[in-house]
Amino acid sequence: MLATWVRTLIVQASWNYDRMVGLGVAYAMEPLLRDLPGGTTNSRYTAALKRVAGFFNAHPYLTGMAAGALARVEHDGVPEPQADRLRRALIGPLGSVGDQLIWAGWLPLSVAVGLIVAVLASVPAGVVSFLVLYNLVHFGLRTWGLAAGWRAGIGIAGELAGRMVHAGLRFAAAAAPFAVGAAIPLVASWLLEEFGASERVGAAVVGALGLVLTRVLVPTLSGVRLGLLFVVTAVVAGWLWQ
Amino acid sequence: MTDAFWWLLLWGVVAGLDLVSLGQVMIGRPLVAGTVAGLLAGDAAAGAIVGVTLELFALDLLPVGGARYPDYGPAAVAGVATAAGVPGVLGLGPAIAVALVVGCLGEEAMQIVRRGNSADVRRNRAGLDAGDLVCIRRVHLRGMGRDAARALVMTLLGLALAAVVRRWLPLSLRGTVLVGTVAVGVALAVAATGALRLSGRGAARVWLAAGLVVGAAWVVAR
Repeated sequence: MLATWVRTLIVQASWNYDRMVGLGVAYAMEPLLRDLPGGTTNSRYTAALKRVAGFFNAHPYLTGMAAGALARVEHDGVPEPQADRLRRALIGPLGSVGDQLIWAGWLPLSVAVGLIVAVLASVPAGVVSFLVLYNLVHFGLRTWGLAAGWRAGIGIAGELAGRMVHAGLRFAAAAAPFAVGAAIPLVASWLLEEFGASERVGAAVVGALGLVLTRVLVPTLSGVRLGLLFVVTAVVAGWLWQ
Repeated sequence: MTDAFWWLLLWGVVAGLDLVSLGQVMIGRPLVAGTVAGLLAGDAAAGAIVGVTLELFALDLLPVGGARYPDYGPAAVAGVATAAGVPGVLGLGPAIAVALVVGCLGEEAMQIVRRGNSADVRRNRAGLDAGDLVCIRRVHLRGMGRDAARALVMTLLGLALAAVVRRWLPLSLRGTVLVGTVAVGVALAVAATGALRLSGRGAARVWLAAGLVVGAAWVVAR
């Protein structure tokens, strides 16, 4: 179990467009298959690796849940077509629950808390609070997911539909935008502290212009490209304005 | 090469690997990568301000599976290397310019790594489709090697760009302040865009508005 948990930390190492995290999940799951009757010579050992090393996708923190459940069904002797249906059925829910819970919830919430602590206390304190807060849930989710998958096997859907997951989703959906909203004015004020009044007005104008560009005129423009466009223009203007 | 250079290079690789391949414990987020890089470069204040500013850019995107997103780990390291030792906020503008270039290149480099992984998978299809563990392990770990190489190249490129900008960027004091002002303004615009995207159109938008009111009130009360 520990070996599988550790291997899920590198589950995306071979992320590719053909099989996404399939290889990573197969590699992570493999230690759980060694205990099959007959060990690595059992035909189900190879068949399971072959199946999972095909196309598979899930949120990386929930790949342990998939590895646990898919290994458990091999131990339980679930017929192979049914095991394969489970593998296919897990792809959507494990992706969407993880994305909503972590990428669209806990990550922005933790970042915002980290930024707020950084500007109100100190940046190192902000960094520590961000890392601790984020990784409490991160590692908790990885550990819970692997244990739940291994415990539930074919009944894994019940774990995903549990009250804890729903409560987490509801909390993250409200708390993340609130925290990000609170962080933005505080960070803006902190960053502009050392600038003069005219620069503050300038930054506000640039901010408004950028917002109009990304929200109205060119919604497909990514943040990094918008930033490059503005900053490179400013470098050229600054160079000419000697 | 100074000690700081080697430490920054090592830190850039670790932060770059954290983006996808190793752990995703978020040490590659610019707030963390920038702050630590500041300590390594001997200028904690530069690390803090560059890290916080870049974190606003990173709020723009959610790192979902197949999405394309900039690599802000090596970018933050390069940004801090640009700003380290420059007084006040004068280094901020050039630092953000360098970091955004490196972040953008990191995004492209990630696509190269993913295509390389795909090609590797196709070359080893027979072994993978046979459920051969040795083959699975080899292809999987080679992917991590590719990502480490990508992070190394991105950090090296970033540190080289930082050295060039520090030495030759022809900006006057006024020009430097202008670039810094624009960098902060656009960072706030990107963060606001990300916040609006995050909150969608439902009740979450109300939570976002409530957060903005609380944050603004806090600023006024300070």
